[in-house]
Amino acid sequence: MTQSSAAASSMSAFVASRRRQLITAFVVFALIALVPRLVTDVYMMNVLILTLLFAALSQSWNLLGGYCGQVSLGHALYFGIGAYATSILYVKFGITPWGGLLAGGIIAALIALALGYPCFRLKGHYFSIATIVIAEIGLLLFHNWDYAGAALGIQWPFTPDSWWTLQFARDKAPYFYFALGLFAVTWLVTFSIVESKWGYWWRAVKDSADAAESLGVTIFHSKMAAAAISAFFTAVGGGFYAAFVSYIDPDSVMHFRFSLLMALPAVLGGVGSLWGPAIGALILIPLAELTRSYLGGAGSGLDLVIYGGLIMIVSLTRPEGILSMIKPAVKREATA
Amino acid sequence: MNRREVLLSGVALSLAGTHAFAQAGKEILIGCIWPLTGPTAQIGADARHALETAVDIVNNSHDLDLPTAKNAGLAGLGGAKIKLVFADHQGDPQKGRAEAERLITQDKVVAICGAFHSSVSATVSASCERYGVPYIAADSSSPSLHRRGLKFFFRPAAHDEMFSLAMFEFMDALKKKGKKIDTVGLFFEDTIFGTDSSNVQRKLAADRGYKVAVDIKYRASSPSLTAEVQQIKSANPDVLLPSSYTTDTILLMKTMDELGYKPNNILAQAAGFSDKATFDAVGDKLNGMISRASFSLDLAAKRPSVGKVNEMFKARANRDLNDNTSRQLTCILVLADAIDRAKSTDGEKIRAALAATDTPGEKTIMPWKRIKFTPEGQNDDADPVLLQYLGGKFVTVYPAQAAIAEPKWPMNG
Amino acid sequence: MTTQAFLQVIASGLLLGLIYALIAVGLSLIFGLMDVVNFAHGEFLMLAMYATFGLVLATTLDPVVLMPLVVALMFVLGVSVYAGIIRYAMRAKANPGMVQIFATFGLALLIQGLAQYFFTPDYRNIANTWLGGKTLNLGGVFLPWPQIFGGAVSLAVFAGLYWLITRTDFGKALEATREDQGAVALVGIDRNRVFALGWGLGAALVGIAGAVLAIFYYIHPQVGGTFALIAYVTVALGGFGSIFGALVAGVIVGLVEALTTLILPASLKSVGVYSLYLLVLFVRPSGLFGRL
Repeated sequence: MTQSSAAASSMSAFVASRRRQLITAFVVFALIALVPRLVTDVYMMNVLILTLLFAALSQSWNLLGGYCGQVSLGHALYFGIGAYATSILYVKFGITPWGGLLAGGIIAALIALALGYPCFRLKGHYFSIATIVIAEIGLLLFHNWDYAGAALGIQWPFTPDSWWTLQFARDKAPYFYFALGLFAVTWLVTFSIVESKWGYWWRAVKDSADAAESLGVTIFHSKMAAAAISAFFTAVGGGFYAAFVSYIDPDSVMHFRFSLLMALPAVLGGVGSLWGPAIGALILIPLAELTRSYLGGAGSGLDLVIYGGLIMIVSLTRPEGILSMIKPAVKREATA
Repeated sequence: MNRREVLLSGVALSLAGTHAFAQAGKEILIGCIWPLTGPTAQIGADARHALETAVDIVNNSHDLDLPTAKNAGLAGLGGAKIKLVFADHQGDPQKGRAEAERLITQDKVVAICGAFHSSVSATVSASCERYGVPYIAADSSSPSLHRRGLKFFFRPAAHDEMFSLAMFEFMDALKKKGKKIDTVGLFFEDTIFGTDSSNVQRKLAADRGYKVAVDIKYRASSPSLTAEVQQIKSANPDVLLPSSYTTDTILLMKTMDELGYKPNNILAQAAGFSDKATFDAVGDKLNGMISRASFSLDLAAKRPSVGKVNEMFKARANRDLNDNTSRQLTCILVLADAIDRAKSTDGEKIRAALAATDTPGEKTIMPWKRIKFTPEGQNDDADPVLLQYLGGKFVTVYPAQAAIAEPKWPMNG
Repeated sequence: MTTQAFLQVIASGLLLGLIYALIAVGLSLIFGLMDVVNFAHGEFLMLAMYATFGLVLATTLDPVVLMPLVVALMFVLGVSVYAGIIRYAMRAKANPGMVQIFATFGLALLIQGLAQYFFTPDYRNIANTWLGGKTLNLGGVFLPWPQIFGGAVSLAVFAGLYWLITRTDFGKALEATREDQGAVALVGIDRNRVFALGWGLGAALVGIAGAVLAIFYYIHPQVGGTFALIAYVTVALGGFGSIFGALVAGVIVGLVEALTTLILPASLKSVGVYSLYLLVLFVRPSGLFGRL
């Protein structure tokens, strides 16, 4: 076998593998889309919507944190910006939340670019703590910004069910489909970026610092792009959350716990892998919700013990993420 | 993934199923949503004692002059008993709403009470409205809550504007008697409670000619309040009007003491200033402090039921009823009375019965004129009282009809 | 504002800054030794405060007297956490940084839940201590004795640490391990033992801080969160692993926080600290005294 034909066959194997992944993904999305027909319980729908939302958010986080290795613990900032942009535009100016989602996403992406410039010079824990601090400044500013309702927050008015205003009184299915759509989009974006030249550079950086040096400026730009895309989708998720809950205040959209909730699923599921964030969210969110609902009512704190204990045990015993346990081949395939 | 989700939801549903089954029988379920974990978990722990005391009153036969107390259970529903289902919202409006929907759709609660945090009351009451289930705001005092045109929202207790109004009327009365009150100092935490409270106080001060000498918004749960207290000390207002929760109240009083500052007068917006933990920690520094309240133990002299209910509560919680716990306890009694009159567990009928509530003050444990809801669901007759902390005890000093003593003014005089 | 009031703000900020430094130094030490950020640091502080509270109840002795006991307990805790958790987190082949963050974060939640379960969410407070409620009046500037004591302890601890690291065998082993983890094994230093002792020492240091804080601050299961972020900022500002940096940064944080209230609303006082921190970091990406 000559060199060129070997390359050609590996190329076609690559394309086939890509196609297989894409088909698998569409089957999975289609199957998830059937869930609202099977699950009618409002509470369970609520848990599933949050699961999909956080799968999408964690997928966005994963672009920056997983693939570029920039562990951001401040994504609550972008989440909050999306939630506030959508709420302010809708409640104060009557602009449809769809416009707000877009505007919030763009604002967040611009802020991510402005912050990325100085922050990407920071390494490791310095970067992580800087992101926490920046998000905390955002939280404090929103707490004191009277126009945005300060601590009183913003309440969405009661309106009839409509896709235009994203308001549904009892029906959870529309929110489910929106969250699923967002998750599918973030998955596809990740899927297409990871196998592009950016994906190769990021992996090169993670594998070898020397390679990073030689690629220099280009790497920096690709990281900035990852930060902007990551922030955009995080903000869209935040805007959706505002429409979903119909009420926001600084602590309920910009708190540090959201930053963690975006990073945790990816870390637990399998960082820098295509399905890791979804697997992580699928375990983490129902666990948090169910322990609170069925154990938290006692007020003993035992729900926290179980939740915290599990996070600890999983991250210790499965450092590559749960995905590696379920199907070792998946991760290899995704990052091959 | 799909199969897993289905499996998971199946597990959760069967969990919920056994949950509901265990509570079947002739019991009427009432949802109670409070913060049971997190920084304000103490509120939820106290609330649980208060709410369970109320259930005891309703379900067993007691010689108390309160609606539904005399006989065991609810006479209107053949002696049916009420049972509480607790849920934890951790101070998060989204979690509160999810729990409300769970209680309504899975546990089939007939009504919901909550939630301390006004932000959580906002989302929980919206969900209740959408499911046609009455919501009683026991201890959420943001005025915005009853101004959203909700049909199923009820608040038996006062809101922040009523509380602040009572405080300023009290100051006006003292001023007429020749006391010097020219300046006030605002000191409030940066969440919804402090913001609401200070907004009203700032407006009232301007309307009634009090100069705001110092206006400090501080971050809740700060490690230190020294710089803030220094500002108060420099301005030295005639009356300090703090709106703080327990942790900050303890820190505020300790810091004032450390900086050698004795405020002329403190007129507090309850919360931290009515919590037993505060008095255990810094009670000696609070002598002469006046706090607004929804409850006055002095009332026991006039109304035996107040003392008896307090003893029942104390047996459980090892502390006296206070501003919060009295309101929580009362909300269950109001609700039980309405269900009793509705003779039904239908949301719409309970709502109608609540709207028709007209309980005279004597048949409550609160120092109120009566319980009667406006079309917005607010009880405008929930007169606040002002209590002064003197010699380790609270003494009612305002309004005149409830007062048993003249206030010591200035407190550190 | 009078000069006196200004001096008061400075003095209070300084004392609080020394206490911040004391809270942060254990975190910095552990990081310097092995590149691990302990996200349960605030919870360690909370446990130390509860330990002090519990011992005061049990023995009716003064917190100052009980301090060595609290420190000993915290040392044991630190060693156990290393042996039971961190040792395994360090072994992680894949993304060890994240494993450490989330293992210790899980531990933090676990400790919070256990604290609520065993101690209830009640706010606790130690009454009638020797120092509590006593204040030194220096010409109108008031310095509370508990904080003066805390500041003095903090300075003593930093002096002790300096001595420990420069003059003792343990300090040399510590220093050698942080310089080159692989080489130390060759010269017969048991890496695991040094790490375990390092965690013990780090926890013991936050134990000292907890015992001091318990004299004048309230105690409840979430109290760690109040101080945790400040501790991380202090450590990063000083430079991870720099003991001296933690001291300087703690004082700077205390002073800046106090002075910010002269310009911004009090509710934004942390913004001053955070902004300064970011500014420093953008100029010096490894903090004031961190190794690049």
